[in-house]
This record gives sequence, C-alpha cells and structure tokens, in this order.
Amino acid sequence: MPEFVLTLENVVKRFGGFSAVDGLSFNVAPGEIFGFLGPNGAGKTTTLRMILDIIRPSSGRIEVLGSPSAIPVRRRIGYLPEERGLYRKMRAAETIAYFARLRGLPGKEAKARAFALLDEFGLGDFARARNEALSKGMAQKVQLLATIVHDPELLILDEPFSGLDPINQHTLEELIRDLKRRGRTIIFSTHVMQHAERLCDRFLIIAKGKSRFEGDIAEARAAFPPRLILRTRDGVEKLGAAPGVRRISDLGEVADNERDYEIVLAPGADPQAVLKAAFEAGLSLSRFEHAGASLHDIFVALAGEGSVPADAESPAAEEAA
Amino acid sequence: MRPILLIAWREYRQYIFSRGFLLFLIMFPLGVVFIGAAIGFLEKSKPARDYVILDQTGVYADAVSEEIERRRERDLVEAWDFYVSIAVDEGALEENLVPAPYAPGPLARARVEAFHTAGVAAAEASIAPYLQGGAPRFDAPRHLFVRLDLPGEAASASSLGEAVERLRPYLLDQKRIAGRAEPLFAAILIPQGFGAGEDAPPAEFWSRNLTDTALQAAVESALEQTLRRQAAAEHGLSLATLEDLAVIDAPMTAYRADKTEADAELGMKDRIETALPAAMTYMLLVIIFGAGNLLLTNTIEERSNKIVEVLLSSVTADQLMMGKLIGIGAVGLTMPTIFAVGGLAAGLASGGGEWAGYAVSALFESHLLAIYLFYFLCAYMIFAMIFLAIGAVSNSLHDAQSYMGPVMLLVFLPLPFMLMVYQNPNGLIASILTWIPIYTPYAVMMRAASDPPFWEIAGATALMLAFAIVLTMAMGRIFRAAILQASPPRARDVWKLARGK
Repeated sequence: MPEFVLTLENVVKRFGGFSAVDGLSFNVAPGEIFGFLGPNGAGKTTTLRMILDIIRPSSGRIEVLGSPSAIPVRRRIGYLPEERGLYRKMRAAETIAYFARLRGLPGKEAKARAFALLDEFGLGDFARARNEALSKGMAQKVQLLATIVHDPELLILDEPFSGLDPINQHTLEELIRDLKRRGRTIIFSTHVMQHAERLCDRFLIIAKGKSRFEGDIAEARAAFPPRLILRTRDGVEKLGAAPGVRRISDLGEVADNERDYEIVLAPGADPQAVLKAAFEAGLSLSRFEHAGASLHDIFVALAGEGSVPADAESPAAEEAA
Repeated sequence: MRPILLIAWREYRQYIFSRGFLLFLIMFPLGVVFIGAAIGFLEKSKPARDYVILDQTGVYADAVSEEIERRRERDLVEAWDFYVSIAVDEGALEENLVPAPYAPGPLARARVEAFHTAGVAAAEASIAPYLQGGAPRFDAPRHLFVRLDLPGEAASASSLGEAVERLRPYLLDQKRIAGRAEPLFAAILIPQGFGAGEDAPPAEFWSRNLTDTALQAAVESALEQTLRRQAAAEHGLSLATLEDLAVIDAPMTAYRADKTEADAELGMKDRIETALPAAMTYMLLVIIFGAGNLLLTNTIEERSNKIVEVLLSSVTADQLMMGKLIGIGAVGLTMPTIFAVGGLAAGLASGGGEWAGYAVSALFESHLLAIYLFYFLCAYMIFAMIFLAIGAVSNSLHDAQSYMGPVMLLVFLPLPFMLMVYQNPNGLIASILTWIPIYTPYAVMMRAASDPPFWEIAGATALMLAFAIVLTMAMGRIFRAAILQASPPRARDVWKLARGK
C-alpha cells in the first residue's frame, strides 16, 4: 500500500490575478478521515476540483492514488460536490445505476447495487420514484449513494452535511465511520467544526488559499494555550499573580451575582496552581473547569481573520468558493 | 469510449423515450390523417355557392352558366380519370381494356360530351370487371356553383347601381331568396356594352366573401372563353374547332446532357435525384435548429441543476461534450428518419411505389448518401458546438437569448440563397456559399447531384474541416471553462475563454 493516498505539493491556482489556492501542500494517508476546513471562499472547492483534475492547477504537483492525475483512477474515487443536483426526470435507482456505470460497473451489477443501497438506506420504496418527486433529504441521500455505489477507495465529500437535518447528519456520520472501518479513505470539507471534531483523524485548516494548520486535534490543542473557566461572586484580581496566568477575561454575570471568568494560561502551566491560589485568596468557587481549546476556537483563531466573503462578486472568488 | 456512449444513450433516451415524443410520434400521422379527412369532409359539406346574373347585354348570362357547367363536366371526367388510375387493375389499364370514353386520357370536348351523354352509371359499369378488390365507388364531384333567378326587385331596377342596392340585402344575408338555405354568395352584373374592346365597361362581381375566389375565377374564365369564342366565330372558327385547338399539347422530351442517349431522357427518377439533395439540405437546417435547441436547453438545465460537477467527477469535460453531441445528434436524426421511412412506406402502400423506389435508389445506389452523412456530421458539429458553448455560458434561456439572435441569423442566412443554388448549382452564389466554411455543408449537399468541380469541393471541404477543428477547440474551451462557473461569464470574457486565456 502506498504511503499516501493523496499528496499535494506547493499547489497554486490563479484565476487572473487572484490566487484562489496559494502554495498548498498536504498528504492524506490510507484509511484516515481527513478534514478539510476553512471559511467560505478559502479555496476548499477549488482544491477538491484540482484533486479530481476537473480544473488544472497553475503550478505544483498533485498525486492521487499513485497517479499524477485523477482521470485514470476516477473509478476508484467517489466525489460528492457541494453544489449537487439530480436529473429531475430520472428515477432514483436509475440515477445511482447511471453513475455506477459511468464509473465502470457493468449494467446489471450497477442496477443491483443501486437497489440494494436504496434498501439499506431506507429508500427502497422510492427506488422507482422520479427524482423530482423526492424530498430534499431523500434527494441528498440519492446523491450520496450515487457517490459510493462503486465502492471507491477514496471518497471526497465537499460540505456533505450542508442541508441535511440532524437525523440525516447522524446517518451520514455513521456512514463515514463505517467506510473508514472498511478501510476507505475519506476527505471531507466543512466549516461546521462539530462534525470535524467528531470524525476527523487529521485535518487541515485553510484560509485565503493558504494552509494554516495540519495535524490532529491533540496537536492543535497543544499549540493553543489551555484555559480555565471559573464561576464566583468574588473578585478574581488576585489570581492574576498566580503562576502561569496570562490573561483573565470577564465572561459576564450568570446568576445571583455569580460571574464566569476565562483564565488563559501559558503553555505547560499547571491549573492546580491557579486552584491553590484561589483557595488562598478565599474565593468561593461554584465552577472550576479546565477547558482545552475547542476546534471551533482554533478554527476561528486560524482562519477567521480576513477570510474572503462568500458573496464576493468576482468570478475568481466564486471559483475559489 | 464507454462513458461517451453511456452519456449519449442517456441523452437519447431522455428525449426519445419520453412520453411527449412517443405521443408526438403517434399523434403526428394521426393528425395528418385527421386533418386530411377533416379538409375532405369540410370540402364536401361546403354549401354550393348561389349566384345571380344581371346581364344588360342579354348575351353573356347563359354563356357564363353554360361555361361553368362545362367546367364541372370536365372536372368530373378528370376526377373519373384519377379514380380509374388507382381503382382499376394495373394490367387492365396497360392492356387498354377500359373502353373509351372511360379510359383515362385527354379531356377533349368530344370525350367529355360522350361521357356525360352516357352518364356515370354507364362509366361505372364499364370498369366493373377490372376494379381492384376493395376499391371504393366513384364519388362524383358535386355542383359547386348554382345559378338562381334574379330576384324580381333587382330585375326591374333601372340601372346597375340600383340593382346593386336591391341585391345588397341578399348578399349581406338580410334577405334570403325563397327556398335557399344559404345567403346569396355573389351577384354578377354585366353592363350594356360589355365586350373585349378596350373601352368596354367591365363586368362586376359583388360578394361579401373576399377569400373564396373560386366562383369569381370561374366567372372570369367563363366570360373570357365566351369573348374568345365570339372573336373566333368572327374569324370563322367554330366552337368545336376552338375546343379541339385548346387540347393540343406540344410534344417535347427533356434530356440530360451528362448521360448517354440510351438513358438520357429526363424522367421522374432524374427529377427525384435532383430534388433530393435540396430536400436533404432543408432537412439538415431543420435538424440543426431542433438539435441545437435541445443541446442548449439540456446544457442550461445541467448547469442550473448543478449536475454537471457530479458528471465531471466521473467523466472528462470532453467526454461529456462528445456524449451530448452524439446523443442529441441522434435525437435530431431520429424524427426525420422515422418520417422519411414512414413516408416511403406510405408511398409504397398507397401506390406511389415508383417514386418511392426512385428515391430509395437515388439514396442507396449512388454516392449521395455518403456525401449527405459526411456533410451532415460536419454541419452538425459546427453548429452544435456553438449551441453547446452558449449553453455552458448561460444560467437560463434568458441569458442565452443575447447569443442566440446572431447564431440563428447565421444558421438561417443561407436560406434565401438556397433556391438560387438549386437552380444554378454551379453558379457564382453556389461557389461563394461553398467557400464559406459554415455554409460549405449546405452548398455541397445542394450541388451534390450536379457534378461541381472537384477542386472546388475538395478545397472548400478542407477549409471547412480546418474551421470545424478550430471552432470545436475554441467552443470546447468555452464549455470546459464556463460550465462550472457559478455565474455566467460576461460576453467580453467569452472571447478570452475561447482563446484559452
């Protein structure tokens, strides 16, 4: 098995004078769930389109499943784009079978798999329904099934959770975990951090076309200072002198004159020292919580600044979105 | 190749197996039959046209009604001849078993008179032994025009003007002539002094119906005949002689200079061979227009439905483009093929076997079919790529409209010149159109049966192929670049896309 399913080296994509992707490099190992995180307009979709060789990079190298282009290995890849639709007049099973055949499955097998998948995902009764008659959730399931029907080794899902209700989001999360258990590699882009936090083995944060972070959640947290949340009626000024305390922020009143405070510690500082200092100062605490940086915080910290607005009018910005 | 064929098959199925198309295929021949039957029924149920004549000369009124009756008699014999040609066994006709005056032939006065003297019943009896099985009975044409007596108040009018005023209520259906179910259709007034002279006052035809001119034409022709007879009589010619002169035809045979004497005589086969390229060219225009519109709407739908990115993850943009071109091209060919085959089959079934056979041999026993197919594919490729590119840069039909105007002009621009090319296939216009790459296919197809200079066709075809390749590349670039853009590119950016910038 190759070391990496996907490798990008210094990939650049320019639209006119605008760099949608700017020197991006990362690797995805076989069997991992890789999160591709970034705000709107960060260059996620452009990168995924380049990975699939739908558009060509301006410079840099991309290797997918050992091939310098995705085209020869397309049948081993499943892609669910962010902007997705179905042929309105086609039937659900027919649609799934059509995409299976486009990816090399023989006609009979494609049809059999389409019906089996629809049964498995609770859409057996709608197999012969026209796509225009399906609800939005059903149509999204059909799109997803059309992506996995040929049992791809590498799945690339662009914002797969967008538009799904909580139940279908849960179903999709389970499906992604199941595919990982079966040894498949999954790359998905999202800007909803909860999904990434729950699912990703590793992730990449991208903003303005540039990589801001690559690693797992532990590495990300380690790179960010730990925080403490305190709840008390008393003043916390004395804690500023405790060892390792960098900053104290008032988060506001909660109830009965009690207030929450966030204490940001220096990397490697001991929270127990702060607790000890609080006792020594005679503070009455109703909450003392050691909170590592959430992925959301990390994301906002890394990608939030100066991201390209989603409704940018230039065609290049649209491409990048 | 497989993905291309899969896409082509999906596109083809989408249209050909749609309820609308199947319904159209069933409805079209039914519609043609229904319209034909309806026209026949309406024609039969059309009331006879009543007319009156006020003839101040006292000479022409009876002559007009006699001439109209003579015309009806001739029409009846003409209808009889047609009936005999399809109802009587072919062998009996070839062996001249049908006796005169019932055998089809020239409508000479003596034959028409003999036919009427004997009557339709005798005519039917004469062909009874030779009728084909299941042949219907002869349906004699009705009297289309009925002359009525002039109403008393009009007859007693002191002038034509007064007569018109007295007849007007009848023409406007404010009054009816006794016993008639329909209003008076027309009044013909022949003034004193009417004749062939330049200063003679004209006859007047009064009617409320301005569209059905059959009676007016019949009266006019009857008056002309009468005037000519009078003139002929003044020159000492009898009526019979005049009738005999009228049926004289100059025998002439046309020959093709490009054939040997044995088979040079111009016949139906030659005419079909010459007309077929023109018919195919017009069909090409219709197919390109129809298929082009399908390509346009279909691409816009895929673009606006966001299906295209899913497709492009499975196939390349070039495969998608080729699949669509093949699938929709096949859709465009299906309908004319069905109608051509259906038309030939109907022709064979309805006794038109001769021309159907000639059409088949003109198509299959010469190089014409290969030429048609080659140039059809070239023309389709050129225009389909343009439509495809327009579809790729448009989010809606509204967006596409700004590009469609000039393209439609380009597609149909050669139409007015086609007749000139048809009549003079090796003339200047034909040559000019041949050398304009987008019209080369039309022009060459039109000229295919007239042996144009080889160098001209080879040169123009090479130019057209080079143009088609460049155009396909440019339109392909537009398609690939624009199909995934969320908003359509501005018109000025389309040129940049075409150049791959």
